[in-house]
This record gives sequence, C-alpha cells and structure tokens, in this order.
Amino acid sequence: MTMAQALFYLMAFIALASALFVAASKSLVRSVFMFFVTLMALAGLYVLALADFIAITQIVIYIGGILVLILFAFMLSGRETLANLQQQDNRFISIGKLPALLLAVVFFMVMINILFKTDVNHLLWLSKAIAHKNVFSPSDATVSNIGINLMTRYLLPFEAMSILLMMALIGAAHLSRKEKKA
Amino acid sequence: MNFYLKYFIIAIGLFAFSGFFALFGVYAERKVSAFIQDRLGPTETGKYGVLQTVADVLKLLIKELIVPAAADKLLFMLAPAIIFIAVYMGFAAIPWAPGIAPSNLNLGLYYIFAILSIETLGILMAGWGSNNKYSILGAMRSAAQIISYEIPAGFAIISVVMIAQTLNLQTISVQQGILSTEKASFLGIWDVSGHGGILAWNIFRAPHLIIAFVIYFIASLAESNRAPFDIPEAESELVAGFHTEFTGMRFAFVFLAEYSMMFLVSMVGVILFLGAWNTPLPNIGSVRLADWTTGAAWGILWTVIKVLLLVGVQMWIRWTLPRLRVDQLMNLCWKVLTPLAFLCMLVSGIWRLWVM
Repeated sequence: MTMAQALFYLMAFIALASALFVAASKSLVRSVFMFFVTLMALAGLYVLALADFIAITQIVIYIGGILVLILFAFMLSGRETLANLQQQDNRFISIGKLPALLLAVVFFMVMINILFKTDVNHLLWLSKAIAHKNVFSPSDATVSNIGINLMTRYLLPFEAMSILLMMALIGAAHLSRKEKKA
Repeated sequence: MNFYLKYFIIAIGLFAFSGFFALFGVYAERKVSAFIQDRLGPTETGKYGVLQTVADVLKLLIKELIVPAAADKLLFMLAPAIIFIAVYMGFAAIPWAPGIAPSNLNLGLYYIFAILSIETLGILMAGWGSNNKYSILGAMRSAAQIISYEIPAGFAIISVVMIAQTLNLQTISVQQGILSTEKASFLGIWDVSGHGGILAWNIFRAPHLIIAFVIYFIASLAESNRAPFDIPEAESELVAGFHTEFTGMRFAFVFLAEYSMMFLVSMVGVILFLGAWNTPLPNIGSVRLADWTTGAAWGILWTVIKVLLLVGVQMWIRWTLPRLRVDQLMNLCWKVLTPLAFLCMLVSGIWRLWVM
C-alpha cells in the first residue's frame, strides 16, 4: 500500500466515522463540532485527488462561513431552546424514521450497483486521458485553469450563480431592515 | 525517510520559534505599554526585567488546570489547542528568504486565508465549552468581528493578487526585488528592474496598494482581536471574554496563539505589500547595495526586521487608541473599509491592464 492509499483510507475512515457521530449524537453542539472534523477529512480527500483549490475553498466556505454561522445561531438561541430541541425521540429505528430509512437503503443499493457495474480501474475516459497526456501532476497550478474555464466555457452558469447569490443578499437585507414608522 | 524527517524538524523549529516569539512579544508589549504610559514595566526579574516572561511561563506551567463543573469538558479542553493549531498551520506556507520556505505551495496565500478562519471556530468552541455568559458573549463578538473584517482584508489581498498574478507567496516575494525576471516599474513609469530595493516593493509598483495595505493592516488588527478592536475580551465589561475560564497551560496556549497571530498577519502584510524578504536598499549606479544585501541570511534578517516593525506598530496602536464601540466597529468595516477595498480592486484591474 502506498502512502497516498494509506492516507486515503485514513481520511475516508475519519470522514465516515465523524459523519456517523454527527448523525447519531444527542448533543447538537457537539455534532456541529464533529461536522468540522468531517469537513476537514473531506478537504484532505480533495487534496489527495489533486483538487487543492476545491479543498481550500471547502475550508473557507464550509468551516469559515457556514459552520460558524450555524454555531452563531445556536449561541443566539440559548441553552433552553436547544434542550427542547434535543428532547425528541432519539431511538435509532422508529416508525417515524421509516421513509428516511427506506430512502437511505435504496440509495445505498443504487451506489453499490454502480460500484460493481463499472470497472473503475479501466474506465475509457481515464485511459484516453492518460494516452493523450491530458493529466495533472501534483505540482501543477490549477487556479489559472479554473479561472480561464470559468470565464469562457462556464461563463453562463457562473453568472447565473452570481445572480442567485445577489438575490439572496438583497432578500436578507430586506428582511433585516426596520420598518419605517408611519 | 529523510524527506519526512526534514518536515518534522521544520515543524518543531516553527513551533519553537512561535514560543520564543511569544516570550519576546509579551516582554516587549509590557515594556512598550510602560513607555507609552510613562511607567517602568517589569524591572525586578533579571537585568531590565528580561526574565519576567520566562518566570511567567514557569508559573503557568505549574498552575492547576481547572475545568469548571458546568463546562462541556471535551470542547473546553480542545478549544485552546484548535485556536493555536489554526494559527500555527498558517506558518507552513510562509517564505522567509529566497529559496527558504517550509512549503512552497501554489495556493499559499489562499491556504493561509483559509486556515486562519478556523481560529474563529476554536474561539466559538472555547466560548460555548466554558458555559459562562461572559465567555459566550466574548466568543460571539469575536466571531462577528472576524467574519466582518475578513471581507475588506480579502479584497485588499485580492487587489495584490491581481497585480502579482499568482497565489504563490514565494513568487510574490521574488517579483518585488532584483531577483525578478519580469519588468518592475516604480509608480508604473520608471523601470527599476535593475535597481530593486524599496522602489520595487508592491506598494510602490502600484501606489493604490498603499491604501490596500492600510485596509489590510486595520483588518488584521481586528482579526487578531487586538485593541482598538478588542471588544471580544473587553476587560471592563466581559472580564476576559472567551478565555475567562482558562488557567495554566490552556491559558498559555490562547496567549501563544494571539502572539503567533500577530506575527503571522504582519508577515503576510510584509510579503504582500512591503517587499517580503527583499532589501530596502536599491542599486545606485556602481554602488550595488541591493546585490550586496540579497541572500538567504539577509532575507531572513530583512523579513524579521520588517515584521518586528509592524508588530511594534500593532503594540503602539494598542496602547494609544481607545476601544471602538460595536456600532463604530461595524460602521468602519462596512461603510469605510469594504467600499475602499472594492475601489482598490477596481484600480488594480485598470493598473494591470493599462499601466504595467
């Protein structure tokens, strides 16, 4: 087993184990902090896939942004509200959770099916890319490539996303504005 | 195996450095504050009190580690480690001299920006784990402040990246001196590729970066929770903010993180704006000052001098300016710094396209 493989299995294990803890833990705040571990392990997996830019973006957006915002909401709501939230039926399998369980099992079957049907080591597009030397090496800079592609090939989706974010911003500003006294 | 051994040694060296810097920083802070407030500062322990911080550390080491009964013990104990490790990991990508950098990352600048945002999480963890109103209030203030000030800091950094066209900190450093292979021009008009020195620093290659530097510096003060942006630990209202409950080594780690953070943000400022490890002395005719003062040892010397100057300014500001109120803080961030940073980014684009 090479170093990269060992690291992959380590990261994958951490990601899965911490994600399980997030889903099963009774303490909401602890599961949010555990989610941090999941996100870091995912960032590590991205790095192993030579997607370093995605890895760092994941840290900036999910950890620096979203996770901190979730915690912020928790701290504003106080311990009593949180305690009420945690007073739910916390058994792992119950009749209320049947649809979710069903969905999860079906989805898992689909994934297993795909895993067995595709021959991962001899994918056509992979061998083509290797034959044409259309591959990245670990020391290549990926940023300029991403930038050029965003500004040419994927310009429309990029702009559409920026409009969506703009709408969210304007909506947030409108909601938080104080009404003028008539 | 040697490959990994090298990285272990570098990591331990950086850790030792941040420890020594915290020792020096605390002593300097006390002496500077004493000078500004017309006092003497520490004088008893050692000559001029130089051993005072060593004695303080010894005291912290033998203090009892107290965990409050109502605290979330795991979060409480992990928080100082996460706060410190977030800052410490930032040092991994920073170049010290030509050819000397712990890790020459393509995305070094972005990496540092990302890693520093983890510190917020550590602070929130400390605040929540302590189970104490002051701690939670301090942590929330700190998080709100850091998230807000990341925006002007980010745009000030982007305006440098647009000039430099790279996120690699070592490349950004090389561009600002005589080792550069591309043309550098002072204020966009006078070609100074052969002269180097202070004339080729980023703030003089594109003068609007002086404004970007000031924006970055103010934002970095806010991100390291230092006065005048220290409402997270305002001692007159919140006892000590998010680190109220910490004792002994845990408290020492919080302090270590604060001083390492001061050094790190100053170092990023120096690399982006003030010529990194390049000498300030230009070549004048046959007096090749820049050639004589460029090299690995000189590089480390110049970096340390410049960074210590910036850290000195941080201390000077801390003991001179009063604390900002929270509404003043947010006004400054959103109504002054953010629009100015956007303007800097715009000018950077124009400068890159038509002047350079």
